[in-house]
Amino acid sequence: MRIRFKLNGREVEAEVEPNTLLLNLLREQFHLTGAKYGCGIGECGACTVLLDGEPILSCLTLAVEVDGREVTTIEGLAGDGELHPLQRAFLEEGAVQCGFCTPGMILTAKALLEENPNPSEDEIREYLKGNLCRCTGYVNIVKAVKKAAEEMAG
Amino acid sequence: MMAQGFRLIGESTPRMDGIAKVTGQEVYSSDIHFPNMLHARVLKSPYPHARVKRIDVSEAEKLGAIVVTYREVPDVVYCPRLVSTPEATYKDWRVLTGRPLYVGDPIAAVAAESEEMAQRALEAIDVEFEVLEPSFDPLDSMRPEKTSIHERIMYMGKEIKIENNIACTMEIEQGDVEKGFSEADVVLEREYRTNRRYHCQLEPKTAVVRPEPDGGVTIWTTTQSIHNTRLLIHEIFGIPAGKINVVKTALGGAFGSSIQTNIVVPIAVALALKAHKPVRLAYTREEDLHEHCSYQMIFNLKLGAKRDGKLTAGSLEAILDIGAHQIQAYPLLGCLVGWWVSLYKLPNLRYVGKAVYTNKVPSCAMRGFGNPQITWAVESMMDELAEELGIDPVEFKLLNHVGLGDLFWGQGPTVKSIIKSSGVEEIVRRGAKLIGWDKRPKPGEQRGRYRRGIGFGRGFHTSSAGGPVPGTAVDYTGAMLKVNEDGSFDYITALMDCGGGTLTAHAKIIAEEIGVPLECINIVRSDTQTTLYDVCTHASRGVYAGGMAALQVAREVKRKLLELAARVLDAYPHALKIRPDEERSQGVIYVEGVEGREITIGELASMARHKNWGTIAAVASVRQGSCPPHFTAYFVEVEVDTETGKVRPIRVVAGADVGSVINPKLAEGQIHGGFAMGWSMAILEDTPYDPENGDLMNRGFINNYKLPTPADLVPPDRFTVFFANTYEPTGPLGAKGIGEGALNPVAGAVANAIYNAIGIRFYELPITPIKILKALREREGG
Amino acid sequence: MYINKLNTHIIPFKFEYHAPKSVEEAVELLSRYGEEASILAGGTDLLVKMKQRVIEPKHIIDIKRIKDLTGIREEEDGIHIGAATKLRTLERSKLIEEKLPVLHEAVITMGSVQIRNMATIGGNLCNASPSADAATPLLALNAEAKIVGSEGERIIPLEEFFIGPGKTALKPDEMLAEVISPYLPENAGTSFMKIGWTDFDIATVNLAVILKLEGEVVDECRIALGGCAPTPIRVHKAEEFLRGKKLTDEVLEEAANIVSGHVRPRARWRRAPPEYRRAVSRALTIDALTIARKRIEGLEVNRGED
Ligand SMILES: Cc1cc2nc3c(=O)[nH]c(=O)nc-3n(C[C@H](O)[C@H](O)[C@H](O)COP(=O)(O)OP(=O)(O)OC[C@H]3O[C@@H](n4cnc5c(N)ncnc54)[C@H](O)[C@@H]3O)c2cc1C
Ligand code: FES
Ligand code: FES
Repeated sequence: MRIRFKLNGREVEAEVEPNTLLLNLLREQFHLTGAKYGCGIGECGACTVLLDGEPILSCLTLAVEVDGREVTTIEGLAGDGELHPLQRAFLEEGAVQCGFCTPGMILTAKALLEENPNPSEDEIREYLKGNLCRCTGYVNIVKAVKKAAEEMAG
Repeated sequence: MMAQGFRLIGESTPRMDGIAKVTGQEVYSSDIHFPNMLHARVLKSPYPHARVKRIDVSEAEKLGAIVVTYREVPDVVYCPRLVSTPEATYKDWRVLTGRPLYVGDPIAAVAAESEEMAQRALEAIDVEFEVLEPSFDPLDSMRPEKTSIHERIMYMGKEIKIENNIACTMEIEQGDVEKGFSEADVVLEREYRTNRRYHCQLEPKTAVVRPEPDGGVTIWTTTQSIHNTRLLIHEIFGIPAGKINVVKTALGGAFGSSIQTNIVVPIAVALALKAHKPVRLAYTREEDLHEHCSYQMIFNLKLGAKRDGKLTAGSLEAILDIGAHQIQAYPLLGCLVGWWVSLYKLPNLRYVGKAVYTNKVPSCAMRGFGNPQITWAVESMMDELAEELGIDPVEFKLLNHVGLGDLFWGQGPTVKSIIKSSGVEEIVRRGAKLIGWDKRPKPGEQRGRYRRGIGFGRGFHTSSAGGPVPGTAVDYTGAMLKVNEDGSFDYITALMDCGGGTLTAHAKIIAEEIGVPLECINIVRSDTQTTLYDVCTHASRGVYAGGMAALQVAREVKRKLLELAARVLDAYPHALKIRPDEERSQGVIYVEGVEGREITIGELASMARHKNWGTIAAVASVRQGSCPPHFTAYFVEVEVDTETGKVRPIRVVAGADVGSVINPKLAEGQIHGGFAMGWSMAILEDTPYDPENGDLMNRGFINNYKLPTPADLVPPDRFTVFFANTYEPTGPLGAKGIGEGALNPVAGAVANAIYNAIGIRFYELPITPIKILKALREREGG
Repeated sequence: MYINKLNTHIIPFKFEYHAPKSVEEAVELLSRYGEEASILAGGTDLLVKMKQRVIEPKHIIDIKRIKDLTGIREEEDGIHIGAATKLRTLERSKLIEEKLPVLHEAVITMGSVQIRNMATIGGNLCNASPSADAATPLLALNAEAKIVGSEGERIIPLEEFFIGPGKTALKPDEMLAEVISPYLPENAGTSFMKIGWTDFDIATVNLAVILKLEGEVVDECRIALGGCAPTPIRVHKAEEFLRGKKLTDEVLEEAANIVSGHVRPRARWRRAPPEYRRAVSRALTIDALTIARKRIEGLEVNRGED
C-alpha cells in the first residue's frame, strides 16, 4: 500500500505492508533511528513520536494509519543546527545518561510544554510516566523540563 | 585532604556525546544497518530442561533462510565473561545447545532478508524434545536425587564433575568464630532471601556482524568490553584476533548485563560466516528478559555484639541461585565475602558460599555484583542489632565500620588493600542531620492509616578491581593521546561509556592536567584494532582505573609538549606553563614571568610537522595498585498505606564520598538512578517462575515487570545529594568511582524505613504491598 | 513452542487492512469476514495481543476514519460518547469533567499520555478486561451500549455487555457504536479509585462509587468493582444495604465487607492473591464512599499529606 504523509516537515511517500509498524517504517525505510524499540508493547515510550503534534507510540501504530497525517521524530526537532530549548536543557541538567530513552522523553516533554507552558514538577512527573528511564531516576529529567519551560517563557 | 585549585574538575559540564544523544543521531548497535543485511531470529527451548531428540530445519531452508543449529557451531565450551584469570573461570556454555537448560536456551538460529521472513522460517523448524526434570529452587536443586543440570564442565582445560548441582563453593574462616559468638552479649541469626531482578537496560541485546573478505568479521554489539568480545569470538571460532574487529557503539544501558559477551554475538557470527552476508540479531524485550537477570541469594547471617556495641563475630552462609550457567559465579563468591567483611569489622568470621545451578535464566552481575544483596541483609541486621543493644543505628554502624587505614577486601580475598580516603563520618553525620534523624518516630508506635518512617543504610563499592598483587581479576586499561596539528587532541581508548559520562570525565582529566580547554579533547570512535586492551567498564572502574590511564598519557604528552616548546621558546621545560585560551580553543605554552614568550599548542604541533619532529603522542597501559571504596549513605523517608500495603518515598538524603567529584551533575545523576533502582529492588522487582511450564511468570513481557515511573519516585526538591570533601591519593586527580555505591545501600535503607514506620521487619525481597498487608494483618491478629 | 512465536519487533503475520468511512461499511465488512476480522480502534490492546500471538486476525477493520463514531454529545437521555473517541478527548472535555466526573477521574489514570492519545473508550470496553478502568465508572453510571450490526441497532445496559474475561455480548457482525451515560443524579458525589503496582499500570483493583444523600441518609448508592471477578461488576448487595442508612463507620465497614465478599478468585490471577484483592476492595470502598461524601459536602479531598 502506498502512503503519503508529512515527516519532519517534508512530504514523503512510502510503500508499506498492512502489518508494517510505524516504528519500523521510520527506522528501516527513512533511516530515522532516533525512535527506539524498547519493549514493543507500549510500556517504555522509547518509540514515542509526535502524530499531528501529539505523542504516540510508533511500536503500536500501523504505518498505514499515518497516511495523510504529520509525523515528527526527534530528528525533526532541532531547526537549522539550533538545538531546541529542551534538548539544551537535557544536556545542561545532566538528564541524559545512556540516552536510549532521551528521544522519546524529549518528544513527550515537548508536547507537555505546548499544552502547558508552565508545568509544576508534579505535572511533569505525571506527564512523563509513559517514558521509562532506567538510568537517571528522572530527577534531572524533571529539572531539565522545568528549565526548558522557563527558558521558553522568555 | 580535598580537591583544590582545579579548573574543570568539580564543575558541571555537559557530556561530550550529549548532542548526538539529544538529537537522535547517536548510533547504538541496534541502529546499525547495511543494505544487504540479513535479519536473524533464535529458536529457543520451550522447556526448562530437555534434550533435543530430533531437529528438522528443511522447511525453514525451503523458505530461503540460512539456518545454524547446535550441531554446526564450533564444539567449544566457553565462559562468556573474560574478566577473571583461568583459575577463577569455569566454563559451561556452548553457542547453541541440544540439551537446553532453561526456557529460552538457544538451540538454533535463522537469518533471512527480513525479520518477518526470519520469523516465518523460525516457526517452520520442527523439533522433538525429551523433557527432563527441572529444578527451580537452589535448595531443591542440591538434593542428591535431582537430575544433574551439568554433569561435567570445563576448568583450566580439564573436565570436572559437578555434584548435587553445586557449581562452585568457597569457604573462609578467620579468628575463632565460636569464641567470638560466646563473647557476644547479643547474637542475631536470620535468613534473608533476595529477589531475582532483571536489568531492564533500555536497549535489548543486539549484535550486527559483517563478514570481511579476509575471512574476518566486524562486530557492533551491546557490550561493556569490546576487547573481551573479540577474545571470546577468537576463542570460539578460531578467527585470528587481528581479523576480528569489534567497533564501539553507544550502549543503551547495561548495568552489568554486558560484562559477558551476550549470546547474540556468537550466534550472529555463526550465521554471518555461513551466509557470507552481514547479519543483524536484535533481541526483542521478551527475549532479553530470557537472557539475563541478577543473582538471587539466600543468606543465613549471624552477627554477635557486645553491650558496648562492638561486633565480636559474624558468620554468613550464602546460597546463590545462578540459573543454568556460570557467568562469574566463582568470582562472585569471592566478592560477596569481600563486600560482607568490608562493611563492618568482624574480629572473627566464617563464610560459606555455594553457587547452585537451577533451570532458569543465567544470572549475571547487576550493578553492584552481589553488594546490594548482602548490604541489604547486613544493613537490616545492623538496624535490628542496634535496637536490641539499645544503641542508635547511626552510632552503632559508625563504631564498627571499616574506614580509613583499615584493611579492605575490595574485590574479594585475592585483592586486599588499605583504605586511604574515607568520608564515612562526614556523609553519615551530615545526612542524619539533613533528614532529621533525631526526630524520627519510634518503630511501631504509629496508629493511623498512613505511617511514616525514616531508614538509614550505608555501604560502599570498590572503584575497579585493581590491587597491589595480580589477584584473579584482570584489571587494566590502555589509552592513547596524540596532539593534532591544530592544537586539538585525539583521545583513543577502548573503554566503554555505559551512560555514566565516563569518557567525558576522562576528557576533563586530560584537559585539566595539560591545561587546555575541554573542547580541544576529541574522543575518538574506536574499535579493537586501533585501541589498547581495556578489560571492561564494570566495577565502578571507568573513572578511577580508566581515568588513571588518561591521566598518564596526559602527563606524558604534556612533558613532550613542554620539551619541544622549550626548544622553540628558548627556555627550560620546567619553567614553562600551559594555560587554556578559550577564545582560540587552544592551550598556550608560556614562560612564566617573561612577557611575549609563548606559543599555542597548534603552532607548536604545526612546527613539529614542518620540522619533521614527529607526532607528539603517548601510549599507556595502566593497572591501579588498589581498588579504594567509594562510600555512600542513604537516609530515606517512606510512607506506608496500611490499608493497601503500598509504600511511597517521601524524602531522600544521599551522601557520597567519591573522592574528587569530576562532574557534579552527572555524579548526582548516578545517585538518582541508583536510588531508583534500589527503591524498586526493595519493593517491586522480581522474576518469579511458573512451576507449571517452567517459564517466567511474565513470559518476558515488561507489562508484568514494572519499573518505577517518575510519578512513583520523589520530585527533585525532596531529593538531596551531597558529596564528601575527600581526595583519593591513588585516584586520578583524587577521584574514585560511584556507579555501584550509588545503589548498594538503598534497599537496606528502604527496608529499615519500612520497619521504622510499621514496626515489622521483612526478610525477603521485594517487600511488596501483598507481603506488607499480610504481615500487618497477621500482627493485628488476623 | 509458544516462546518462538513471540516477536514484538513486528506483527509477524499478514492481514488485510480495511479503513471504512461509515458504520454501514464497517458492519458490512464485519459480516463478510466474521470471526476472521478484528476491529482496530486505538490498537493499544489489539496490537499487543497480535504481537503476543493471542489472536491472528486475517482482516483488520480500522474504524478511526469513521466520523460518526467519534465525539461527545449532550442529549436529553444523557451523554453520548462515540466508541472511537480517544481517551485524551474525554480527558480534555469540560463536559465530561463536569457532568461525568467519575469517568473523568478514571480516564486520567489510564495508561500514559501516549496511550490515551491512541486508546479509545470503545476499545477499553470491547476488550473487556476485568480491570478495564473505564468500565467501572460507566457501570456505576448505569451506562448503556449502543450496538450496531447487520440486523440493525440495539441498546443494552453495560452490565449485560460484559460476559467474561475478553468476552462481550457483541456478535461477530456487531460493533459498539456508542456509550450512552445517563446524567448523574443531582447533588451526587462520586469517586474512582485504583490500585496498581506503579503509577503506570493496569488496575489490580479499581472501584467507582456514585453516592446521593438525603440529609445524612443514603438515598442512592452505586458501586462498581473491577479486577476482582471475571468481569467488572456492580455490587448491588452493598448498594441495597446502604440505602436508607447513615454513613457511620460501622455502616461503611459493613458495606466494605459486602464488596470484598464479591471477590471471585480466578485461576489465572498472578498479580495478587484473592486475600489481597479482598483487603484492597474493602479499603477502596471505604475510601471511595468517604471521598464521595466529602465531595457532596464540598470539602476538599486529598490523600495522605505531603
Ligand atoms: C502500556 C499500556 C497501558 C495501559 N493502561 C491501561 C490502564 O491504565 N487502564 C485500562 O483500563 N487499560 C489500559 N490499557 C489497555 C488499553 O489501552 C485500553 O483498554 C484501551 O482503552 C483500549 O482501546 P483501543 O482503542 O486501543 O482498543 P483496541 O486495541 O483498538 O481494541 C481493543 C479490542 O476491542 C475491539 N474493539 C475496539 N473498538 C471496538 C468497537 N467499536 N466495536 C467492537 N469492538 C471494538 C478490538 O477488536 C479489540 O479486540 C493499557 C494498554 C497499554 C498497552
Ligand atoms: S517500544 Fe513502544 S512503548 Fe516500548
Ligand atoms: S538515560 Fe538510559 S534509559 Fe534513560
